[in-house]
Amino acid sequence: MVDELLFFMEVLVGGLLAGTMYSLVALGFVLIFKASATFNFSQGAMVFFSVLAFCGFMQDFNIPFVLAFILAALLMVVVGLCTERLVLRPLMNASEDTVLMATIGLGYVLEGLAQAAWGVEVRRLDLGIGDFPVPWIADNLKLFISALDITAGLVAAIMIIGLFLLFKYTKIGLGLRAVADDAGAASSIGIPLKHIMLLVWSAAGVVALVAGCMWGARAGVQFALVDLALKALPVLIIGGFSSIPGAIIGGLIIGAVEKVLEVYIGPFFGGAIEGWAPYVLAIFFLLYRPEGLFGEKIIRRV
Amino acid sequence: MSNTSANILDIKNIEVRYDNVILALHDVSLKVPKGKVVALLGANGAGKSTTLKAVSTMLASERGKVTNGTIEYDGNAIDKQTPSQMVGLGMVQVLEGRRCFGHLTVEENIISGAYSRKLSKGDINQELEKIYTYFIRLKERRKSQAAFTSGGEQQMIAVARAMMAKPKMLLLDEPTMGLAPQLVAEIFNIVKELNTKEGVSILLAEQNTNVALKNSDYGYIIETGRVMLDGTAQSLLNDDKVKELYLGISKKGRKNFRDVLKEESLTKRSN
Repeated sequence: MVDELLFFMEVLVGGLLAGTMYSLVALGFVLIFKASATFNFSQGAMVFFSVLAFCGFMQDFNIPFVLAFILAALLMVVVGLCTERLVLRPLMNASEDTVLMATIGLGYVLEGLAQAAWGVEVRRLDLGIGDFPVPWIADNLKLFISALDITAGLVAAIMIIGLFLLFKYTKIGLGLRAVADDAGAASSIGIPLKHIMLLVWSAAGVVALVAGCMWGARAGVQFALVDLALKALPVLIIGGFSSIPGAIIGGLIIGAVEKVLEVYIGPFFGGAIEGWAPYVLAIFFLLYRPEGLFGEKIIRRV
Repeated sequence: MSNTSANILDIKNIEVRYDNVILALHDVSLKVPKGKVVALLGANGAGKSTTLKAVSTMLASERGKVTNGTIEYDGNAIDKQTPSQMVGLGMVQVLEGRRCFGHLTVEENIISGAYSRKLSKGDINQELEKIYTYFIRLKERRKSQAAFTSGGEQQMIAVARAMMAKPKMLLLDEPTMGLAPQLVAEIFNIVKELNTKEGVSILLAEQNTNVALKNSDYGYIIETGRVMLDGTAQSLLNDDKVKELYLGISKKGRKNFRDVLKEESLTKRSN
């Protein structure tokens, strides 16, 4: 009995921590959705591009870890700058659908550029954090929990706190929330839209880099990271597209639910249900709570 | 550059097109003297909002363009400026339909108006207190989410937000739309106060001809993108045609100025 409970705890905690990895990817989507009301289809490509650049700097140019990370982050700011200047500004008066299509195109460009610059083979990323159980926890709590999962959890926590403080207490955060609510009105009182867009895309780029590091360390830095970003979709549907806490909680729910279902219900379906179980959950949310758990309700006075 | 002329805004014969095709303004000229309130009157679709947006350069975001004529604000030609540059020059537009940031609190909404200015936290609070002396009602509701305030309060938020940018000139687009008469009076009182105490020049687009003229110094009446009539507010209030067409003191079922002019020319010819 105790063993069974411990096993359940292990599955649950492992799932929750793995879920924070989804949260990290989802965060990037939320940032851009808040400012442009667009689902950024290129977020997966940004994850791939940023982490491949990071590996490229370290492995091809022998740049030390920290410096390579800073360089990759700066590169993502440049990507944000180019996106604002070359894609968003010319489409400023276009419909949201047009911007959505443009992000798909942007994704292909980033994928292509990354592979042209750093090759197509799978790279190993060693963060110095092993993807194996932490001995101390295994000995004392009898739970086998990966050190990488714990790190991802901590990183996600730091990022959400940082972003929360940025949005709530800084001037640029106020500007961003204003633009998210009504870009036209924000522009009419002198909030420069292009600065806000630049900030948001750069921030989403850095978040993509962090998410890419975590996933790259687990699964190798490879093209599959692009599709992995699609896992963020059910996370966003459950958490709400415009909510940063929602992205975190949504990730935790998806992580926990898919692991628990896989272990306990999976055998009845012949296994491998974690691939589709989150989408089933997402459909239920779309049916009964389309704004997600934390999404901003559309407030309309009657 | 200091402007020595008496007009803060001088629009000369502008023509505005949307999508390069749709002609929204044919020929509009108007002047706003410094420190005065000027009303721009007309029915829906007459071109009031378009005129205001041409001035604040918000037209570009709606694929509109000034294709002819000139606009001079405070001695400078308005041409390629962005809306945020215009705010920097002291010209702020309060858009039609209030457009508050619904998820922000009332106070956050007002503070966002100071975005273009480099103010310290203390300065912002000082400005905020000053703004609240005009909008007492908003102070009580400062912590509420703006979307849950009433229509009148939202209009006040929009004007207060614009005032935080410290404008020399305000463009108000239908500030009384959909408000009860008592609130209309309250809004106009505040606008008059801002005009006299803060010295803000005001260009006001309104359908509510009677109230607007009573609170203005000068008025322009536009119809289908053309200025049909202009004059001091008093003279317009006493004008027979205005009375008949816009103040509802009508004899027959005439619809607009063109019909009146047509009728007059017909009577002239028959004489």
